[in-house]
Amino acid sequence: MTNSLNDMRHAKSMIFIGSNPPEAHPVAMQHVLHAKEKNNAPIVVVDPRFTKLAAKATDFVRIRPGTDAAYMMGLINAVITNGWQDREFVDSRVSGYEEMAEVAAHYTPEVVEDITGIPAADVTRVAKLLATNRPTSLTWCMGGTQHHIGSSITRAFCILQLVLGNMGKSGGGTNIFRGHDNVQGATDMCILSHSLPAYYGLSDGAWQHWCRVWDVDYDYITSRFKEKKWMNEKGFTLARWYEGVIQEDKIHQYTPLKALFQWGCGPNSNSQYHKVKKAYDMLDLIVIVDPFPTMTAALGDKDNIYILPSSSQYETEGSVTSTSRQIQWRHKVVDPIYDSKTDYDIMAELVKRLGFADEFYKNIKQVPEDITRELGKGSLTIGYNGQSPERIKKHMENWHTFDIDDLQAKGGPCNGEYYGMPWPCWSEEHPGTPILYDISKPVMEGGLPFRNRFGRVATYVMSGREEVQLAAKGVCNPGSEEAGGYEEFKDVVPGTNWKTDLSQKTIKEALSKGMAPFGNARARCVVWTFPDQVPIHREPLHSPRPDLIEKYPTYKDKTNHYRVDTRYESEQNPELVKEFPYVITTGRMVEHMGAGAETRSNQYLAELQPEMYAEINPVTANNIGVRKGGMVVIESPEGGKITVRAKITERVDEKTIFLPFHFGGMFMGESLADKYPEGHAPFVLGEPGNIITNYGFDIITQIQATKDGLCKISAA
Amino acid sequence: MARMKFLCDVERCIDCSGCVVACKEGNHVPVGVNRRRVITLNEGKPGEKSISVSCMHCSDAPCIAVCPVDAIYQRDDGIVLVSKKTCIGCGYCFMACPFGAPQFPSSGFFGARGAMDKCTMCAGGPEENFSEEEHKLYGQNRIAEGKVPLCAGMCATRALLAGDADVVADVYRQRVFQRGSGVNAWGWSTAYKKD
Amino acid sequence: MQRRIVFVSLLTLVATGAAAAAVSAQDQFFLSPLTHSVSVYFNKLIGIIAGDWQGYGQLFTFLQGEWFATLFLAVIIVVPLVFLLHYLIVGAKHFDHDGEQILFFSRYARIVHFVAALSFSLLVITGLLMIFGAFFGGGIFIRSARYLHLVSAVVFVVPGLLMFFLWVRDMLPQLHDIKWMLIVGGYLSKKKKPVPAGKFNAGQKMYFWFATVGGAVMAYSGYLIWGFGASLDTVRVYAMVHNILGMGIVAFYLTHVYMSVFAIAGSLESMKTGYKPKEEVDILHSRYNYR
Repeated sequence: MTNSLNDMRHAKSMIFIGSNPPEAHPVAMQHVLHAKEKNNAPIVVVDPRFTKLAAKATDFVRIRPGTDAAYMMGLINAVITNGWQDREFVDSRVSGYEEMAEVAAHYTPEVVEDITGIPAADVTRVAKLLATNRPTSLTWCMGGTQHHIGSSITRAFCILQLVLGNMGKSGGGTNIFRGHDNVQGATDMCILSHSLPAYYGLSDGAWQHWCRVWDVDYDYITSRFKEKKWMNEKGFTLARWYEGVIQEDKIHQYTPLKALFQWGCGPNSNSQYHKVKKAYDMLDLIVIVDPFPTMTAALGDKDNIYILPSSSQYETEGSVTSTSRQIQWRHKVVDPIYDSKTDYDIMAELVKRLGFADEFYKNIKQVPEDITRELGKGSLTIGYNGQSPERIKKHMENWHTFDIDDLQAKGGPCNGEYYGMPWPCWSEEHPGTPILYDISKPVMEGGLPFRNRFGRVATYVMSGREEVQLAAKGVCNPGSEEAGGYEEFKDVVPGTNWKTDLSQKTIKEALSKGMAPFGNARARCVVWTFPDQVPIHREPLHSPRPDLIEKYPTYKDKTNHYRVDTRYESEQNPELVKEFPYVITTGRMVEHMGAGAETRSNQYLAELQPEMYAEINPVTANNIGVRKGGMVVIESPEGGKITVRAKITERVDEKTIFLPFHFGGMFMGESLADKYPEGHAPFVLGEPGNIITNYGFDIITQIQATKDGLCKISAA
Repeated sequence: MARMKFLCDVERCIDCSGCVVACKEGNHVPVGVNRRRVITLNEGKPGEKSISVSCMHCSDAPCIAVCPVDAIYQRDDGIVLVSKKTCIGCGYCFMACPFGAPQFPSSGFFGARGAMDKCTMCAGGPEENFSEEEHKLYGQNRIAEGKVPLCAGMCATRALLAGDADVVADVYRQRVFQRGSGVNAWGWSTAYKKD
Repeated sequence: MQRRIVFVSLLTLVATGAAAAAVSAQDQFFLSPLTHSVSVYFNKLIGIIAGDWQGYGQLFTFLQGEWFATLFLAVIIVVPLVFLLHYLIVGAKHFDHDGEQILFFSRYARIVHFVAALSFSLLVITGLLMIFGAFFGGGIFIRSARYLHLVSAVVFVVPGLLMFFLWVRDMLPQLHDIKWMLIVGGYLSKKKKPVPAGKFNAGQKMYFWFATVGGAVMAYSGYLIWGFGASLDTVRVYAMVHNILGMGIVAFYLTHVYMSVFAIAGSLESMKTGYKPKEEVDILHSRYNYR
């Protein structure tokens, strides 16, 4: 998130879209409710479901799943046509605005109503509400991202905030709540197939940078790969790894995948989960590292599965990064119990046996402090270099000296610093950056302009217009030597830039001038490398509105998308809705976590939510002939089929079925209780909702589209 | 002496059941026994509201009035406790309670209710403070440690307040003032009529 | 005539059940979508948790908290006190046990009665122990009394039913019962004047109905209280019924004990042997139909 959970207390209005914090992020709710009570801030909830957040909201807008981009562009259009945009902000800090406005003009309230099902009057009303209650905090979660146009949707969110001038302001920002306690940390370390840690990518330069950090020979790393070209190729993603085994779509790799290593991974969060099961039985080796046996452990029919019991977070320690970009130290409470080992120990044993312990542990003598030091040393792009283990621990010890409202320590040993030194924290003296892109403060006091990432000038294909990408004259942080936009710092140490200069002289040079190492530019509305340069609506692959498919078709099929061909155009079939008339969407419940292996094994949580269910509107229930407490059969176009309890509720509308995705341990009618290691079956077994989620993956990130598929349903 | 009270702010309760699980986990309450629970009205509809309910530790508590064996008593700080050794499990307190607080784990005798179990406000029981017996029968004694009960301590949105009635009332009054709307403190008129 | 009276007594039983059913019906709490009145809203919440506490809950609290124990105490003090006075003033009735004896109770009747008497006495004693549990300090003693109460109740059901069918014909009210009641069965006088009664007098009849029909109500309500087998409000009503009816039964129980042990000398003996002196039958059961 660009701001912090605490900073949401300063919001004058809030909009949540595809986010349900009372269930997914209950702890964040205190700040949301604080803003509601103290600032009288309206809370707008945009969701296909009347969620628990909607119960606390001032305005609930029911949207058709997968049409978020249309609604956002509609809001942007309403803001622009009514003259509510922040002109000064747009003129001085945003690029590609005109091109974007032209695209947005298509999304009139009436068009938006047709696409999203939201009344036209509500589009204008919400736009006005946000415009008159600035700053607005905008939050989205998986509901905004898990679509085949997820990348466009999230960009539309950001553009709305730019147009309203809410970026870089206390109480504003795009505040995406991360799902787990250290997901931000995991993302920052890029536990992903397309980038080295800290978003360096997979270029040769990136590899060389990290080899310098690791103090390992670049040629040695190269030698570990079959061919050098694979070093620069994106790998399979979590969403589609199983295609690397079952190859229903063509793969682009010299061999199918042979082994699967799942380290703290809830497998039943994969869409089309019944296809994942096929992959389990074709692999040579599956290793699961988890405190609880995951569904993988029980689902595979082949004798190819090993479980390594890892300890819980309470039995180990280290640095973790919160959703507010704050780095905290987690101390150990007890030693690992039973046969479990900490993740560090399991990793050490593996590395030893694989024979590269020397290279692996070159900089790491003291676990885990040296790990934090090493990753900090290399992660200059996002300013992880200022948070030494000593500083992090000092913050933990002086927790009480930080202000709950602005997170700054008032006096005490951490005086002036922001809690957890939210990244970027450019040096050991830097206090951390509590709000990204905030030019009201000097850089050394936590201020920051927009990053200069995409050159000095750009020419837009759409309009042929040329635009300077740097911030306008006079727009900079107080104390900046350059009174206006400037490019990123480089060649302070010859041959390096601020990201790759491990001596950090470049960063220090910038800071000494009161400037940001990464430059001072404009936030862009046009992304010339994306298929949709400006976000537009495209109908979900499996759309319940065949009439709209023609108007808003999906992309062309994409070959070699993270090593596997991905269908778009050829998958979008207007006839599908005839057989599968209901929209399926998934989500969380507060009692269970992720794939639920841990929480379904807790007796008290099991007692609170003991059974998988599908939320069905009373009208739907009566139409298909199911009564309260009855069972329903739900089938997906891909052949997934589950029988679950019907929960009849007005949370969902008549066209939508909602499934929580935390359940596991049942598979298409078969209980796997006997297949767990003896005595380790969770208390609660249920059909994974993801057996029903459909085919569909984002065009850029390949995230699975779990929120807008189709299904059919009948009484069991 | 301070009067201890509970207050659940309906505007803040988000139905996360964190209080319920904290209570059970922290006090090792058996499955099926709910010292605290969250109730939701109008689920999935406009007007949906949730509230966390347990023993309110009423002044002039009806349970004390009806107990045929005088197993229930009130401490000077207002906390209502039960002596499990004295209780016969007759269930009268459950019939008298406006909040459905008393719980009855089975005793094993022809489905007979065992000794009544209810929220202790994390103040243990009549046995000696911090004794093994107290811990076994009633769970933690956080009040004696100077801490707030587990449920209120765990509440993410600070909907559930517990402690000195004056402080609790002040916090709540401030919230109501901020909101600019007079919302009743749920259950207070029933539980604390007299003070 | 007789049938009509039976009908009336059965009607009482049905009415009690109907009242309970009416309470149960209210438990279905239908929620309207939006309530603007906060107090109405909170009452609904309370309704989900604790039923109609304002109505039945408070009534139960008031009765149990303030009255039940006191009333029971009054019953077990006042009733024996009255009989003590009677014993001192009027005294026991003596009949010639050496004269002609009549087989009044069959062996079967005696066994049934004995089992009933034993379990019934236990019910009364354990019931009273619970009522005055605080006096005995609760704990294992009273808890055991509660368990024994259940055991006795289950045991009593068998002879209770048998006894009902055994004597129900003789227990049907008759016109002369009114006369019996007007002269209180002749117990206020020392004279041995024949009183109008068949095999059983009106007092015995009343006790019979209390013990059987009342017993059935007690058993059913007790069963619900034991397992919370109905909605909370229904259980509350039954708890009140159980207590109030219990008072009546205890009063009759004490009467019966006094009559058999003290008021009519040798009466206990006849329940053991089955024989009653002919003199006694002629006086106290003057309309007894010799067969």
